[in-house]
Amino acid sequence: MKERRNIAIIGTGVTKFGELFEHSYDDLVREAGLAAIRDAGIAMDEVQAAWLSTAFPEIGVFKGRSGMDLSEPLNLYDIPVTRVSNFCASGADAIRNAANALEAGECDVAMALGVEKLRDRSPQDSIVKMMVELSHPYYQKGFTAAGTFAVYANRMMHEYGVTREDIANISVKNHYHGTLNEKAHHRVACSLDQVLSSPMVADPLTVMDSCPTTDGAACVIMVRADDVDPTRHDPVYIHGVGLSISTGWDLPFFDPHHDFLSFKATQNAANMAYTQAGITNPMDQIDLVEVHDCFSIVEMLTYEDLGLCKKGEAKELIRGKATMLGGETPVNVSGGLLSCGHPVGATGVRMVVEVAAHLRGRAGDRQVEGATTGVTHNIGGPGAIASVIVLSNEN
Amino acid sequence: MAFIKSYGVYFPSFTIADNVLHPKGRANKHSIAYVDEDIITLAYAAIEVLKSKSNNLESVDAIIFATTTPVFKERYHASYLADLADLPKGITALDLGTTNRAGTDALILADTMISSGKHANVLVVATDISFPSIGKEARTLFGHGAVAMIVSKDNGIAEIVNTASYSEAVAEEFVYKGERTRYDPRFARTAGFKSNMKTVLSNLTPEDVDSLVINSAYVKLILKTLKTQGFDLQKQLAPDTLIPEYGFCGVAHGLLRLVSAMENVHGTSVLIDYNNGSNVIAINVAEKAQALSSETKDRKSINSYQDYLTIRKQGNFEGKGYKRIEMFSSEMIQEREKDQLKYLKGFECRGCKTVYYMKSARCNHCKGTEFVEKQLSKTGTVYSRTSEHYFPGSFPPINMIVVDLDGGGRITVQQTDDMYQDEKSIINIGDRVSLVLRKMMENDAKPNYFFKCRIVNT
Repeated sequence: MKERRNIAIIGTGVTKFGELFEHSYDDLVREAGLAAIRDAGIAMDEVQAAWLSTAFPEIGVFKGRSGMDLSEPLNLYDIPVTRVSNFCASGADAIRNAANALEAGECDVAMALGVEKLRDRSPQDSIVKMMVELSHPYYQKGFTAAGTFAVYANRMMHEYGVTREDIANISVKNHYHGTLNEKAHHRVACSLDQVLSSPMVADPLTVMDSCPTTDGAACVIMVRADDVDPTRHDPVYIHGVGLSISTGWDLPFFDPHHDFLSFKATQNAANMAYTQAGITNPMDQIDLVEVHDCFSIVEMLTYEDLGLCKKGEAKELIRGKATMLGGETPVNVSGGLLSCGHPVGATGVRMVVEVAAHLRGRAGDRQVEGATTGVTHNIGGPGAIASVIVLSNEN
Repeated sequence: MAFIKSYGVYFPSFTIADNVLHPKGRANKHSIAYVDEDIITLAYAAIEVLKSKSNNLESVDAIIFATTTPVFKERYHASYLADLADLPKGITALDLGTTNRAGTDALILADTMISSGKHANVLVVATDISFPSIGKEARTLFGHGAVAMIVSKDNGIAEIVNTASYSEAVAEEFVYKGERTRYDPRFARTAGFKSNMKTVLSNLTPEDVDSLVINSAYVKLILKTLKTQGFDLQKQLAPDTLIPEYGFCGVAHGLLRLVSAMENVHGTSVLIDYNNGSNVIAINVAEKAQALSSETKDRKSINSYQDYLTIRKQGNFEGKGYKRIEMFSSEMIQEREKDQLKYLKGFECRGCKTVYYMKSARCNHCKGTEFVEKQLSKTGTVYSRTSEHYFPGSFPPINMIVVDLDGGGRITVQQTDDMYQDEKSIINIGDRVSLVLRKMMENDAKPNYFFKCRIVNT
């Protein structure tokens, strides 16, 4: 696929992200789904196919095991609904599948909805449980998700002169951005000292370098660009979609060529999406980026993988505040995963909703002024699966 | 005629002094198995030392395993160990236990098996991990260690010139229904030890003995008798130099004393291993073996009684904020992937020579499709690392280490023997490490063993 994608997002919806004990999985589906339907100005029955992204039903509330968990709360029956599960890239992959179906002509109006309900479980029963209790009895046993990225941080500090403060300052930046986002899980700014002195999770990453697990949902309604009705719709266009699995769950930790300095999956996904969208100079052509900062170090690695800077120079973007709101290319003005939290299946869709808000001029206090092109990025597994989506308000 | 062809000795990295176990304790030390060690890993480690001395175990046709502290019931430890150590399939595998004499029982049995002509190379392994009652540690001679020996028809370090066993009905102490029972020592040590020694010594001629090794806590009771019989105690009676450094190591202790004799005495040593009767083994050493101390450097002291108590829980992993957990384990995975999990075998790409620990259809580097099996090394250099503070463990954090193995291949494993995060234990990028087999987790069904790494202090 080399040609520019021909897809428009005409409706978006997102719930509050957080510890939402008062909302069920179904409540979250309804809130995000109905908001997107209303925003698109269509009737529910105009949706002809849907994709549901929930990554981990078994460590959540056992919902999201199939597409029927989208159909039931929305009473959206008698159409194809597919559950998508691709770790942290699940939400973006739901959008990719919806885009493909629209381009293939399987449907004219598609819904991609991501939802995850993780906070009903204690921390031990949540994401950590997968690594501690449910994975291969020996391979990687001893890691939590934080540790699988901390080994990148230590290698990057060893190779590129990245300092602990450089990594922590990503968290400081994103927590500041989070104060501007009413939907974020945490809306509290933090200082460098607070990041450095918060409890250690996986050396050198602390609690404040780590995103919380979160409840939340997000939804987009998509049509082919040719079907946009300017009188009804305020569209944002998908110009490029890339998704790549470039290693496995275990391989990075057993492959002697893996350098722990980059994510090949991100590079591949970016290459696919940029080629489709005609992006040749990312720093000049992209106005804002939502990056998968599940841990602060991942944002730093991703600067280089997305081509925002040269290899080994990511620290300079942080030191020069180029990725702050108001900087050359703001990154994670939503607050990122560090502030918004990470309802895994919803995150990729939430990012697209966020970038769409900026491209539509609806992002309020955190609006990136004059934004015309934005990019979302997710990475899942231990850096194995990445998605990159290029969005624009120009067709 | 049989020979002790070679041997390997293993002591855990940690020791604890009596004065840490009790305020009034003395300076004697006890060798203590780390929280992820058990008799299987200790036995495996001793066999690894044996292998490191260029011993090819392919010709081993029997294994005898001795312990009084089995981890399994109704399961052969010797068979389990034979499989872990990759010994030839289907060999004779025997377990001995119930008495601290089981180690020398195994050696006598091995000698008999060789002498009968039915076997050529018998691997004898002995190890124990036992702890005294809480509060009694400083008054008890206990310690943990393992020894592995190849008894062979071929020439070796020592010739086994004679063996004998003298039974005795009276035991000074024993365990019944989990409780240790001691008879009145005035009676038991006379009717037991002294009576038995009388029989044993009547068959010994002092002139034939260069070194007399008596493995018993009651040896002082017969010093007079020995003198009377003509032994020069100063010259001929070997002191137990292991007790102050390691403690009494159960079934392994008799064999460890024999090892000590092989390393220190040129000529004939006679071991009398007493425990509810005696085993007598006479060996002749033509050339002294390499010193035991070479395998026991870099030992670390346990600083507190609390740390000792955590270690003695032996694998009950309870992390920060974690309730007891049952991790997933699978006998099927263990068996299916045993070449990797037990034997550390990898795959070398025929095209680019990249070595992988994990199987794949294609090389991730050159996309070649042909691989040859390759034995991976157990030493390497650290490529990256982290410390996991939220993974449950007895002594968090769990240090995770990415290791580039010597000769190719990469593996990511937990660090072990890292109870104290001090300068000697912290592993940094570029450090040298070695892989050791340890218990990964313990659930109610069975222990699970896999490789971990520990720092190689240069």
